[in-house]
Amino acid sequence: MTSFQSTLGEESGIAEELAESQQAISIAEFFEKNKHMLGFDSGARGLVTAVKEAVDNALDAAEEAGILPDIYVEIQEEGDYYRLIVEDNGPGLTKESLPKVFGKLLYGSRFHAREQSRGQQGIGISAAVLYSQLTSGKPAKITSRTEGTSEAQYFELIVDTDDNEPEISVEETTTWDRPHGTRIELEMEANMRARQQLHNYIKHTAVVNPHARLELREPKAHFKFERATDQLPEETEEIRPHPHGVELGTVIKMLAATDSQTVSGFLQEEFTRVGKKTAESVIDAFRDRHYGREMRWRPPASHESVDLDAAVTDATANKGADATAAFAGAIEDEVADTDRIAHYELRDVVDSAADDVEDEHGTTFGDTVRENAIDAVWLELIDAVPADDDETDDPAADDAIESESRLVADLYDLADDATSTRKDDEVIQAFAVRLAGTFEDETEDDPRHRLTHETLREYVDRAAELTEEYDDVAFGDTARENVVEAIWGVMATVPDDPPLVRELEGDRDATSDLVDGMRATDIMAPPTRCLSPISDDLIQAGLEKEFDAEFYSSATRDAEVHGGDPFVVEAGIAYGGELPAEGSANVMRFANRVPLVYQRGACATTDVVKSIGWRNYGLDQPGGSGLPNGPVVIMIHVASTNVPFTSESKDAVANVPEIEDEIELAIREAARDLKSFLNKRRSMQKRRKKQNVLGTILPEMATKVAEVTGRDEPDIDDAIARIMNNVLVERELEQNGDGQAVSVVVENNSSTNKTLEITDIVSAEPAGLSDGATVVEMDGEWFIKWEADVSSGDDAVLKYEVADDASFDLDVKGVETEKLTVKQ
Amino acid sequence: MSADNEQARAQLIDLAAQFYDQFELGEIPHMSVPTRTKNNIEYDEEMDVWVYGDRESTRSANSVRGARKLLKAVYTIEFLADQLEEDRSSTLRELYYLSESWDNKEAQFNDQDESNGLIEDLEIVSGVTREDFHMRPEESGATLMGPLHLREQTRRGEREIHCQEDVGEGGYQIPNNPDTIEFLGTDADFILAVETGGMRDRLVENGFDEEYNALIVHLKGQPARATRRITKRLHNELDLPVTVFADGDPWSYRIYGSVAYGSIKSAHLSEYLATPEAKYIGIQPADIVEYDLPTDPLSDSDINALESELEDPRFQTEYWEEQIELQLEIEKKSEQQSLASHGLDFVTDTYLPERLDAMGII
Repeated sequence: MTSFQSTLGEESGIAEELAESQQAISIAEFFEKNKHMLGFDSGARGLVTAVKEAVDNALDAAEEAGILPDIYVEIQEEGDYYRLIVEDNGPGLTKESLPKVFGKLLYGSRFHAREQSRGQQGIGISAAVLYSQLTSGKPAKITSRTEGTSEAQYFELIVDTDDNEPEISVEETTTWDRPHGTRIELEMEANMRARQQLHNYIKHTAVVNPHARLELREPKAHFKFERATDQLPEETEEIRPHPHGVELGTVIKMLAATDSQTVSGFLQEEFTRVGKKTAESVIDAFRDRHYGREMRWRPPASHESVDLDAAVTDATANKGADATAAFAGAIEDEVADTDRIAHYELRDVVDSAADDVEDEHGTTFGDTVRENAIDAVWLELIDAVPADDDETDDPAADDAIESESRLVADLYDLADDATSTRKDDEVIQAFAVRLAGTFEDETEDDPRHRLTHETLREYVDRAAELTEEYDDVAFGDTARENVVEAIWGVMATVPDDPPLVRELEGDRDATSDLVDGMRATDIMAPPTRCLSPISDDLIQAGLEKEFDAEFYSSATRDAEVHGGDPFVVEAGIAYGGELPAEGSANVMRFANRVPLVYQRGACATTDVVKSIGWRNYGLDQPGGSGLPNGPVVIMIHVASTNVPFTSESKDAVANVPEIEDEIELAIREAARDLKSFLNKRRSMQKRRKKQNVLGTILPEMATKVAEVTGRDEPDIDDAIARIMNNVLVERELEQNGDGQAVSVVVENNSSTNKTLEITDIVSAEPAGLSDGATVVEMDGEWFIKWEADVSSGDDAVLKYEVADDASFDLDVKGVETEKLTVKQ
Repeated sequence: MSADNEQARAQLIDLAAQFYDQFELGEIPHMSVPTRTKNNIEYDEEMDVWVYGDRESTRSANSVRGARKLLKAVYTIEFLADQLEEDRSSTLRELYYLSESWDNKEAQFNDQDESNGLIEDLEIVSGVTREDFHMRPEESGATLMGPLHLREQTRRGEREIHCQEDVGEGGYQIPNNPDTIEFLGTDADFILAVETGGMRDRLVENGFDEEYNALIVHLKGQPARATRRITKRLHNELDLPVTVFADGDPWSYRIYGSVAYGSIKSAHLSEYLATPEAKYIGIQPADIVEYDLPTDPLSDSDINALESELEDPRFQTEYWEEQIELQLEIEKKSEQQSLASHGLDFVTDTYLPERLDAMGII
C-alpha cells in the first residue's frame, strides 16, 4: 500500500480528493455484495435459504396471531430459473407495511424485542427478494389478505439497493381463496443440488413444530407433514432488558430516553428483575465504585491514652461546662460502643449527641461547633493530632509517631488475620507501618479516608512492594488480595446520594460505574415467559411423528442466562427401530424452533455432541470421541431471546460456554434414559439367550439322567426358574372330596421384590378364596384376581376350591416375560 | 461283569441319580469338587501325604457354562457305565474323540484338557479311580529294570517275569494298572527312579542295577500314575527305599514332588500314589557347585517356578528351602547328563555312590 503519510503537507489536496470518493453505502448495497453473509452464496444454497426465510416468517406470523400454521411450499422449474412459492394462513399484512417487510432490509418488529422468535433482524425475507431480483431480474410477487377483508392486496416489488427502500412496480387488489394469509412468489437462479438440505429443513421443521402442517411440492415429488398436536406454543411475552446483559452504550441511550428522575427509579422502570431492594444494592455497588468506601477505624480501647472527652471539650468553646461535658461524654460513649467507625458515622454520632444536648440544656450547637467536634475526634481516632510543639519536621518525632500510630496496630491486626500464619510478625508489622503511612499521607487530601477498591489495592501494593524491597521477603499476590479484601470488608459504603438521571446522562464515567455496579450485583435470572421451549413431551411427540424408532427420550432444562438473555436448552434422542443402523448419528440442531441445516461442523451443538463419551451411554463411538455410530437421532433445541449465532446467515450456534454447558446437560439427561433402555435391552437379550441355551441343555440333561438311571424324566421347570432367578408361578392341585383344592404358588427367585397381578380364569365357580383375592363372573367364567407382593426369595400362595372338572387359565402381570416362568 | 466293575458302575449311576433328585426337588443341579490348586492342598499327618483341603468348586447349572459341564458329565457317566458293562477300556484321548460321535453337540468336548478334567472330577466325586473306570492315558507306564520277580495278570493270562533276566535292554513295561501285578521276590536294595531316558540307558549300560542291586525305574518326565503306583507298592510291600535322580532345575523338583508327595491334580489319590519317604539324590544345586558341573543360566520362567515352589506347601521343608535359595543365588541349572563332563563312568563310579552313601542308602 502506498503511504500517503509522507506526502501530507506537500500536496494539500490529497485528503480532499480522497474524501470525495468516500460515501455512505446502503445496507442493501452492502448485502448485495456480501450475499454469502446471509446464506445466499450459491444457487443451491440460495433456494434453501429462501425457503427457510419464507417459512420462518410464515410460522412466526401465524403463531403470533394464535393461528395453527398451515404452510404450503412449492418449487417450480422455470427454464434456467426456479420459482419458489410460499403460502401461509397467517394474519396477512396491511397495505402499508407489506412493501417494507419484503422490500426493505432491517425492517421488522423483532429486533428490539426481548422475546423468542424465529426471525430477529428483519433481514431474511427481504434478502431473499434481493437475491431473486439480482439473479432473475424479476420482482417478487406478493399477495396478502387480512382477515375480514373481501379482497387481497397484490404487489410486485424489488429492493432499491441505493436507498434500501421498496420499489413497487405493480400494486392492485385481487381475489384469493384463502380467507387470510400471505403468499410470496420469487423467481431465482438456483438448482436442486441441495435437495437433501431442503428436505432436512422441512422435516426438521415438522419435528420441532408439531402444531404446524407443512406441505412441500417439488417438480417431481410431494411431501406432507401433518400436525401432531393442536396446541399452539405458549405465547411469549416481551421482557425488559436484564441488568446483566446491557452494555454501556445501551445504558447511555436508555438514560436519555427514560422518564425517571432518580437512578433507583430508572433501574426499576427500565430493567427486568429490579425492585426497590435490588435497585438499592445496585446503587450501593455504584457508590463503592464512584465515591469509594470510607475506612472504619477502631474506637480507642481503655488502655490507650486517647481521651476523646478531652478532645471534644477542648474543641468546644462557650457552651457552658455542663452542656460541653454532656456533649463530650455522649460522643465518647457512643464512639466507644461501636466496633469500628467511619467518618460519616462519626458525623451521625456527633449530630445526635448535639441534638440531645440541645434539647436537654437549651444550648444551641451550631454547625461550626459540630464540625470542630468531628474534626477533633476524628484526628484523635486516626492519630493525626498535630504535635503541640510544631516540630513535625523532625524525622525522629515522625518515626516515633509512626511506630506508635493507632492505625498501625489496627492495620496490623487486619493484615495478620488475612495472611498466612507463616509470615513473620515483624514482616506484618513493617507492612502495617507502611500501609498506615499511606493512609496518613491520604489524610492531607481527604481525612475521611475515602478509597475505591482500586485505590486501596494501589495502597496495599505500594506497601507490599516496599516491604518486599526493604525487608527482603515475599509478599505475593494472594497475600495482597487477602489484605485488600479484609480491609475492604471493614470499610463502609458511603451514604452519598447518587446523581440524578439527568446528571448521569452526560457523565460517561459515572454511567460506566453504574454499569459495573449492575454487573456486580446479584440479580435474579430474567423471567422465562419470553421463551417458548417446545417441552419434552412435544419433542418426543415430534420425534415419534417423524422417526420410526424403538426408543425416544427428551429433556428440557430450566432457563439460564447468558449476557442478560435467558435461554433454554432442550434435547431429544430417538434410537433403534427403522433408523439406519449404519453410519454416524443424525444430529438435528434447532435455534428458536428453526432447523439449522448448514455449517454443522462450526456449531456449538455439534461440538458438544462430539465431546460426550457416548460409550458410557451404550452407543458405539469409534475412538471414544466424535459422533456416535448407530441408529440414533440426537436433536438439540436452543431457545433464547437472542441466540448467539456465528454469522448473519444463522447456521451455527456460537461457542458460548454457558450455552454449551446447558446443551451438554440436556443431552446427558436424555442420554441417561437411553442408557438404561440399552442396558435393560442388553440384559434382557442376555437373559433370553441364557434361557434359550439352558432351555435346550437342561431338558437334554434331564433326558440323559433319566436314561442312565432308568427312571422317568424328571420335572425341571422349578430348577429352570431358580436358575434364571425367575418368578415362578405354579399351580398345584389336590383332590379334596368332590372337588379339588387349588394352590397357585408364587415363588420369587429374583433379587428384587415383586408385585404380581394374577388373574386365574376358572370355568366353574370357586369357593373358599384365600384373603386378598376377589372373584368376578363373566359369561360363565370366573375371574379370580389376586395381587401378590412377594419379597426376594419368598413365597406366596393363593388357595381356593373348585369342582373337579374345572379348567383353568393363568394370566400373570407385573413381571417381564423373560423373568417369569408360569406352570399351569 | 466283574464285582469291581459292578461297584464302579453303581457309583457312577449314583452320581447321575443325584442330578435326577436335584431336578425333582426343584434344585439347581450341581456337583461340588475340591478346588485343585496349590492353595488348596494340605498335609495329612495321618497318611503322611498331601491331600485336598476344604475348598470346593461347584459345577452348577446356574450358568450356561456350568450347565454344559454337567451335561457333558452325564454323557460321560453314560459312556463309562456302558464301558464297564462291556468290560472294555479306552484312553483319555479316545474319550475326547468319542464325544464327537455323541448325538448332542452341546455335550461334545472342546479339547482334551476338558475331558481329562471331567474324568478327574468324576474320580473325586464318585470315589472310583480312573483305572477302575477303565480309562488309561495314551502312553502307558514307563519301564523298570532290576532284580525283581513278579507275576502280571494280563488279558491273555498270567505271566511270570524277572525284570532283569526275562527282559531286554528296554526293561519291563509297567502296565497301566499296576494293581494287576503280584510281587514274587526281589534281591534289590533300593529303587532308583530316573527322570530322563538317556540317563536310564547309561545306568543300564554301565550295569549299575547289577552292581548295586538297584531297581531302576524310568520316570519319563512327569511320572504317570502307574509308575508312581508301582513305586509306592514296591516301597510298601518290599520295603525298598526310594530315591529320585533328576535334572537340577525347578521342573525336576516337581517330578520328585509328585513321586514323594503327590501331584496337585491327583491329590485325591495321594494316599494311593505318593511315597513320602522318597529321597532326592540330585542333581542338587549344591552338586552344581561341588562337582563344578557345566550349567545353563536360569530363565525367567525357571526363576518364577523356583519362587512358586518356595510357596508350595509341599516344598516347605528346610532341605528344599535351602536348595532352592541356593539355586536362586547361583542363578544356574544343570542336567543329569552334565555329569558326563567328568567322563561316562563318573555317574556310576563316583557321583551316585557318593550321594547314596551320604544319604545312608548304601
